[in-house]
Amino acid sequence: MREVTAVILENKQIAEEVYELTFCTEQSVPVLPGQFCMIGVGGMPLRRPIAVCKAEGERITVCYRLKGEGTHRLASEYKAGETLRVLLPLGNGFSLAKEQKRIAVVGGGVGIFPLISAIRTFRDKEIYAYMGFRNRGAVCMEYEMLRAKKLTIATDDGSVGYHGTAVQAFQEEMSRIKPQAVLACGPTPMLRALKQAVAGKGIPVYVSLEERMGCGIGACLVCTCQKTDGARARVCKDGPVFEINEVEI
Amino acid sequence: MSNLQVTLCGKTFKNPVIPASGTFGFGREYDEIYDISVLGGVCTKGLTLEPRAGNPVPRIAESRGVILNAVGLQNPGVERFIAEDLEWLKGKTRVIANVAGSSLDDYAKICARLDGLVDFIELNISCPNVKCGGMAFGIKPESVREVTAAAKRECKRTPLVVKLSPNVESIANNARAAEEGGADCVSLINTLTGMAIDVERRKPVIANNTGGVSGAGVKPVAVRMVYEVSRAVSIPVIGMGGITCAEDAVEFLLAGATAVQVGTQNFTDTLACPKIIAGLDAWCENHGVKNVAELTGGLQLN
Repeated sequence: MREVTAVILENKQIAEEVYELTFCTEQSVPVLPGQFCMIGVGGMPLRRPIAVCKAEGERITVCYRLKGEGTHRLASEYKAGETLRVLLPLGNGFSLAKEQKRIAVVGGGVGIFPLISAIRTFRDKEIYAYMGFRNRGAVCMEYEMLRAKKLTIATDDGSVGYHGTAVQAFQEEMSRIKPQAVLACGPTPMLRALKQAVAGKGIPVYVSLEERMGCGIGACLVCTCQKTDGARARVCKDGPVFEINEVEI
Repeated sequence: MSNLQVTLCGKTFKNPVIPASGTFGFGREYDEIYDISVLGGVCTKGLTLEPRAGNPVPRIAESRGVILNAVGLQNPGVERFIAEDLEWLKGKTRVIANVAGSSLDDYAKICARLDGLVDFIELNISCPNVKCGGMAFGIKPESVREVTAAAKRECKRTPLVVKLSPNVESIANNARAAEEGGADCVSLINTLTGMAIDVERRKPVIANNTGGVSGAGVKPVAVRMVYEVSRAVSIPVIGMGGITCAEDAVEFLLAGATAVQVGTQNFTDTLACPKIIAGLDAWCENHGVKNVAELTGGLQLN
C-alpha cells in the first residue's frame, strides 16, 4: 500500500446516482480483486473507502454512489486533469484456490464493482454472475459483467432480466451449476439472504464487507466487525473479504 | 537544516512530532508506508490490563472540519503489546504508552507493568467513549490528583504524562492537580465530547451516540487551552488538537508546548507526520530559528 497523487482521466455518471472515476497513478500499482482505495476529497478530514473496479497498471477505475457530502463533491468538483490523493491498494481482496473452478458471483448495488474486478481477473475460472439492481436505470457496466460465462441481471421491479433479487436468481440455479465457491458483495440484507441460501451446502462463500473507516490501513480500529469466534477483525486490513461463516452479518 | 531536537523530562526526541494515541496503532501499519523512525516518538493505542473489544460500529462520523470517534478502547491488552510490539517499536523511536483503566488499582497496575519498559507513560484519564475509560478521573481536580498520585507511585523509572480532558470546568486547574499529584508532563487536549445526527434516520451516526470530536476544527480551542495550561504549571506540555501542518505545530509550540501530537490528520493524509516534520524544518530555516525548542512559549500577547 502506498500514498499516491493520481491524475483524473475521467469522472462520469454511468447510472442513477452512480459514477465511474478513472485515474492514473505515476507508477503501476498491483491491485487484487476486492481490494479498495481511500480517496481524499478536498478539505474533508476522512477519506472515502471505495472498491477498485478495474486495475490496468497505472490506470485504476472505481465506481461510487452519491451518498453524502464527500461523494457529491467528488462527483461535482473533480474533473479530468485534476489530481487526487489516493491510498492503495488496501485490504486482502478475493482469492481462489486452483481447484475452485466453477465460481458464482453474487452482487447488489455498488457491491457489483469489486466483483467486476474479480470477473476481470479470474479469467481461467468458469464464472456465473448474478447481479442485482433496483431497476433498469440502475444497470451499468454490463459489458464488463458479460465477461462471465453466464450473466444473470436481476431487477427488483423486473424491468429488465430476472424479476427478483440476485440471491433468488442464484438460488434457482445453485444446484445445477454446483459452484465450488461464491464471491459476494452487496447490502447487508442481501448477504444475510445469501448466508441462508447456502447454509449447510458446504460451499465456501467469500463476502466483501463495508464499514465506516478511519485510517484504512488497520491502525485505528474504527472499522471492526464481529467474528463468529468472538474476536473482532479489522474490515480494512483483515478484510474486507471474509468467509461468510467467519463473521457476524 | 535546523535543529529539531527537543527534550522532555530529560529525554531527547529527534523532533517534536508524535502521532497521537488511537490514530496510529503501535506503528506497524504506518511503517508499511514510511519508515516511522523519522518520528519524534509514537504514542500507542490506549492500553488496558485486559484485552478490550471496544464499542459497536459505526465508531466514526464526520462533520465540517472535524471527526467524531467512539472506538471504546479496543486493544489487545498490555501483555500482548509487550510481547509482540514493544521491542520492535523501541527499535524505531521513543515509545509513549497510553494507558487507561477503570479504577485506581487498574492505573497503578498497568503503570507498574510498563515502568522501565517504555520511554513515557501517558495516563488516559479522559476517554469520553467508555463508561470506565477513566473519564470519571479526568473531570474533578481532586480525582485528577488522586489518580496521578496512584500512577506516579508505580512510575519509578518512567516519566508520567497525564493527558487532560477539555470537557472540564478549568483545564488549568486540572493541570495543576496533575502536577501536584506528581505528573512529570501533561498532554492536551483529548477529544471534545460531541454528537452527529443522521437526520434521515433521526439517530446519531455513531453507535455509541456520542463521540470524541477531533480534527482541524478544534484547533483554536486546543491552542487556547495549551496556552492556559503552560502558564499554570511548571512541568512541560505536549500540545495537540487539530494539527494539520507545520504552521499548526508552530502555533502549539508558541502557545507553550514542548512537543506536539498529531491525530486526525493521519487519517486525512497517511504521510501527515513526516510532512509536518519536514515543514517544521523549512519553517525554522525560513524564520532564522536555529533550534525548534526556542519556539516553546514564544507567544507575544497583544
